[in-house]
Amino acid sequence: MSSLKMFEKPLGMRDTFPITYEKVEAIRQTGRDFLRARGYDFIKTPSLEYFDTVGKASAIYDAALFKLVDSQGNTLVLRPDMTTPIARVATSKLLKEQIPLRLAYFANVFRAQQTEGGRPAEFGQMGIEIIGDGTVFADAEVIITAINLIQAFGIDSFKITIGHAGVLNCILKDYTESAEQADKLRTLLVERNYVGFEEAVAAFDLPKTKSDALLQFINEATNIGAIEDIEKYVRKNDALEYMQQLMELISFANLSQYVALDFTLSSHMNYYTGMLFEVFAEGSGFALGNGGRYDGLLHHFGSKVGATGFGIRVDRLLEVVPSNKSAKQTVAIIFNDEQFTKALEHAKKLREEGKRVTLQAKKGLVDEEAFTKQFDTIVYVSQEDLA
Amino acid sequence: MSELTIAMPKGRIFEEAYQMLIDAGFNLPEEVEMSRKLMIEIPEEKIRFILAKPMDVPVYVEHGVADIGIAGKDVLLEQRRNVHELLDLKISQCYIASAGLPNTKMNEIAPRIATKYPNIAMNYYKEIGEQVEIIELNGSIELAPMIGLADRIVDIVSTGRTLKENGLVEYEHITDVSSRLIANPVSYRMKSARIQELVFRLKKFVN
Repeated sequence: MSSLKMFEKPLGMRDTFPITYEKVEAIRQTGRDFLRARGYDFIKTPSLEYFDTVGKASAIYDAALFKLVDSQGNTLVLRPDMTTPIARVATSKLLKEQIPLRLAYFANVFRAQQTEGGRPAEFGQMGIEIIGDGTVFADAEVIITAINLIQAFGIDSFKITIGHAGVLNCILKDYTESAEQADKLRTLLVERNYVGFEEAVAAFDLPKTKSDALLQFINEATNIGAIEDIEKYVRKNDALEYMQQLMELISFANLSQYVALDFTLSSHMNYYTGMLFEVFAEGSGFALGNGGRYDGLLHHFGSKVGATGFGIRVDRLLEVVPSNKSAKQTVAIIFNDEQFTKALEHAKKLREEGKRVTLQAKKGLVDEEAFTKQFDTIVYVSQEDLA
Repeated sequence: MSELTIAMPKGRIFEEAYQMLIDAGFNLPEEVEMSRKLMIEIPEEKIRFILAKPMDVPVYVEHGVADIGIAGKDVLLEQRRNVHELLDLKISQCYIASAGLPNTKMNEIAPRIATKYPNIAMNYYKEIGEQVEIIELNGSIELAPMIGLADRIVDIVSTGRTLKENGLVEYEHITDVSSRLIANPVSYRMKSARIQELVFRLKKFVN
């Protein structure tokens, strides 16, 4: 191991410089105003949680958790997501007071780096959770809110793909001969390995009708235009009806053009019990965010109510949000020692006019030209001004 | 129609895949000047090829700087990147196997495996319940058992000639390998029509 240089940071940790900081703040402000106007209350949870509670329940792979040990010997984790801590606090405290809950968050989460660069190990996440409402209206609200929120950021080119764990499970169960086969196919879908799916179907040696149906399903299911197209694969069930209602509600909101169906969508976590979705936007190579119904997580924390929500990654949002420069005018007041009082008064006046004013003693400047270049206007407070 | 960036491995796979695209009816120049160029623009089809090392293709695709790419299954298994595996092109087919000196058993205490594919090798031996030590090499893997560096090697086999010439025999067939068409998850959604069409057209020319 080579020794650390003074400038080094742990793998995946980043500094936020002024320009990025302002951009993040603008995102926070837009998102906060937007979500509060829709009745969501923001909450905060601690950065550290117990591994045995939040760490184990979280959807994040174990290897990606930052772990520490406290003085009693308990293993702690830096929170890897916000949904799990919110499920914890909702089931233990908030649900007793009010049902259903609409909660929002804007917080940093931590995921240890496994591979190379280009992936921060700490990043901001913004999202909502509706806890205690098991209806299709709550899921529709989550999707509509996600779409409108992305629009509020000024992003035009984006897509949301929706699937349903129940529909997929039904198809996998009906067309395979054992639970192991269904599980194997589900794992391949989580990995998005369509080639592997086809190979596995061939290897199972299923009756021809079943294997043909599965192969046709994999060819069509990632790109289904209308819910009717999936009906031929699934026997009538609640999940399918649920999706029909959901798509109808989205069309009532006139947002169907942003939504695509993908019934191969699957999560490695089994607590995603119902509909689930992913958000993609042009400009980033990675998904912007994801969401879905996770009643199973609430059950894990001992509550029998439904929960649904989504989260968007702020670091990826930064890549796709169109940048608009802040319009605030910047002024530098450069003063000589004797004019300090005068400079203070002048600065106060300009700030009241809504300008961003920097006070700088002339004596403190080494390279005056480089300094003054950063500002829109420069004001020198000199002896003459006093007169 | 949106621009499509395709990451391709240099060399023989590029030529075969390029021919498949021509067969599938894409309007590409018959002769493509391959010299030292790393990027080839085909304005007629709004396609841009980037030429990369085979091991690097999934990197470009995962980060989204290439929308789709052609990568060997060996590379995909080794790197486990977050890309969609869309189509088996069935070109450059071969397999990964373990090999060693004839009539030898693996060391009982700490069997050593030399390989270019540490993850594939590790996973394979884990699956069969064998704890091994991996020694990562970058080439001439066949040397390792001959000079006593390792008990077995895990490597690509296409004809088996290299093994034979170095006095090694194949022990276990681990997995089949061929070139796959892969896609970035975001591109797969945002350029879905173009990518689906390409898959549909190529599919007919897979042998």
